[in-house]
Amino acid sequence: MLFRYIFCYAMLLVPAAFFLVFRIIPIAQTLRLSFFSWDLISRTKPYVGLDNFRTLLDDSNFRLALSNTTVFAAVTVVASVVLALLIALPLARRLRFEGIYQLVYFLPFITPTVPEAVVWKWIYDARYGILNYVLSWFGIPPVGWLLEPRTTLWAVIIMSVWKTLGYNMVLFIIGLRAIPAEYNEAGLIDGATGWRFFRYLTLPLLMPTLLLVTVISTIGAYNVFTQVYIMAADIQGSPGSVVRVLIYDIFENAFRFYRMGYASAEATVFFAIVLVLTLAQFRVLRSRTE
Amino acid sequence: MHRKHQQIRWAVLALAVALAALGSAAAPSGAAPTINLSVWGGYPEIVPVYQRAAADYDRAHPNVHTTVLATELRDYERKLAASLPSDTAGDVLEVDDATVFRYIDAGLIAKAPADMTGYVRSRSFGSSAQQHATVGSDVYGVPWFAGIGALFYNTDMFKEAGIAGPPHTMDEMVADARKLVKKDAQGRITRSGWSLRLFGAGSGVAEKWAILAWPRGAEILTCNAQGKCHAGYDNDAGRATLAMYLGALYVTPFDTFDIKHDAEALELGQTALFERESWVVGDVAKNAPTLKYMSAPLPRAKRWGTIFNPVNLYVPQGSKNAATAWDFIKFLTQPQYERQLLQDVGWIPLREDVNYDPVLVKIPQYKAFLFQNKDFVYWSMPSLRDFDEIETKLADRLVAAYRNKSLVNNPAGIASTLHAAADETNSILRRDGLYAP
Repeated sequence: MLFRYIFCYAMLLVPAAFFLVFRIIPIAQTLRLSFFSWDLISRTKPYVGLDNFRTLLDDSNFRLALSNTTVFAAVTVVASVVLALLIALPLARRLRFEGIYQLVYFLPFITPTVPEAVVWKWIYDARYGILNYVLSWFGIPPVGWLLEPRTTLWAVIIMSVWKTLGYNMVLFIIGLRAIPAEYNEAGLIDGATGWRFFRYLTLPLLMPTLLLVTVISTIGAYNVFTQVYIMAADIQGSPGSVVRVLIYDIFENAFRFYRMGYASAEATVFFAIVLVLTLAQFRVLRSRTE
Repeated sequence: MHRKHQQIRWAVLALAVALAALGSAAAPSGAAPTINLSVWGGYPEIVPVYQRAAADYDRAHPNVHTTVLATELRDYERKLAASLPSDTAGDVLEVDDATVFRYIDAGLIAKAPADMTGYVRSRSFGSSAQQHATVGSDVYGVPWFAGIGALFYNTDMFKEAGIAGPPHTMDEMVADARKLVKKDAQGRITRSGWSLRLFGAGSGVAEKWAILAWPRGAEILTCNAQGKCHAGYDNDAGRATLAMYLGALYVTPFDTFDIKHDAEALELGQTALFERESWVVGDVAKNAPTLKYMSAPLPRAKRWGTIFNPVNLYVPQGSKNAATAWDFIKFLTQPQYERQLLQDVGWIPLREDVNYDPVLVKIPQYKAFLFQNKDFVYWSMPSLRDFDEIETKLADRLVAAYRNKSLVNNPAGIASTLHAAADETNSILRRDGLYAP
């Protein structure tokens, strides 16, 4: 018995060590670095206290990035969770060709983001894009999806919802199928159908999955970078900094301007936002689960 | 069984002795130690030149094995930032003037040895190239190539518009662009008269704007002899340049946002004229070999000249193969490789004592990049550690300004836009103690 315990803890020790080295220590180092000024190559790192955080408050790029990322995250999370649930509900009932449907929805998630973003750039192209072509059937004039600041963020949001939908759908299907059949039967016997059945039976039992999907989606949405970088930072037509997001801003400050301390302060604020949102989601959704 | 094991042991021992003897015969005690030399660069298109030189060098020095590693420029800059402080960078580094300054400042780049200093200060290189390879009184780099701006224009489109040749003044260029622009029945521009840089994250937007602002008398930074600077574009010249961009987009439009730009536009026949470096020649040869086009020096206004962005070859302080690295650099800057750099890649080599005529006869588009005139100035952006941040943030503001229709025919709005940008530039300089009024 003792050997079993030792074996189990020894096995857990390996991933724990990796987690410590590749996650915990870098996060701790980032927090520490946010109180220093460092250009990545100097041997000295002067301590600057809270200066980096004070500068952040006056930085219009940071404020723009925070606002864009928050709008992006809020819309993407709500849309991808709601749509994924709507798709998962019929697919969880073991429809005919359900595998094909699941594959179609899941493919965007497993395909690398870079080629997808390039394809979407073509779809959104103001002159030759298929989206404007389809819209022209309804008499809608061409829209510069990736040219106009007011449409670019929404164009990136649509692409991101399309990408994450399949993953959320699979999680919901698993959650829906895990609801014990006797609960459903009891609900039906009690006369619950349609919206009432979903609202008072399915949804409460699906809360743990909903919590998981929402937390994962929120963290993922706040980490948005690749699609913005590909779709909105090109010399062939894109408003560039207008769709600045937090990761892009951190990346630029750290690895382009070599302001590692400042970028670390930004990363610390970013970490705090995601942590608070995650805890809030746990608090709200878990209370409904219990 | 025991005897059999013993036989195997003896056989293994005999084989080991034989191999050791063979090894010692193959590598006599006086043989030079093997040197693994690595060459790093941020311009992947130059790899064939490096590879050819590396193969020739390795043949001439059998104990040297040279490898070439080139990645996209931004990745390369990050790689340098991570590897130079940890002494894990390559032995020969291709670095542009603006980037290398911070590493020299931090003591991470080696000074050139006496013989290489003599080589750099020889008549092989022009005074401007020599100056950019030198910090204080010490030579650090060997001039390799430069990014130089010039005009590219489609000769068929010029003929069709009845324009005899390239513009000589900035005003002429605007007038030509208005004649060259083409629109469809709905009035949408299908071919820009002059493709301006209007988009993209990064510093390119500001650099291209500065190239057009310089002849009028503006520059991104105006610096004193002590290397302290202030914004040099919050003036009439800067305002005139921004007004020119807005006019080109909204007043008498000859460019638009939703059409291809840059070299791609030239290659697709979607622009008649634009400003860029010499690499476009190689790009056109690859993507649009039948295109009829020519190059010309940038037109003049109050001043006449073009941007000169040198890229030099350096050896890091931590290189274990420094002597071989310097020797390779000298080998690489021989005429045959310099000519290959021009002909096959399209960057302008910085050795001046090489005869490039065979290449220029074959590819006359390069002539504009080697243009010489007593009034024509090859100017450079300042070597300042904050420069990329300053240029990138100015670019962000310019991208927003180009989209702001309310600035059209609005001198106060233009002035306020540039004044706010200059405030930001100066505050970055102040932050790092680099500001002087």
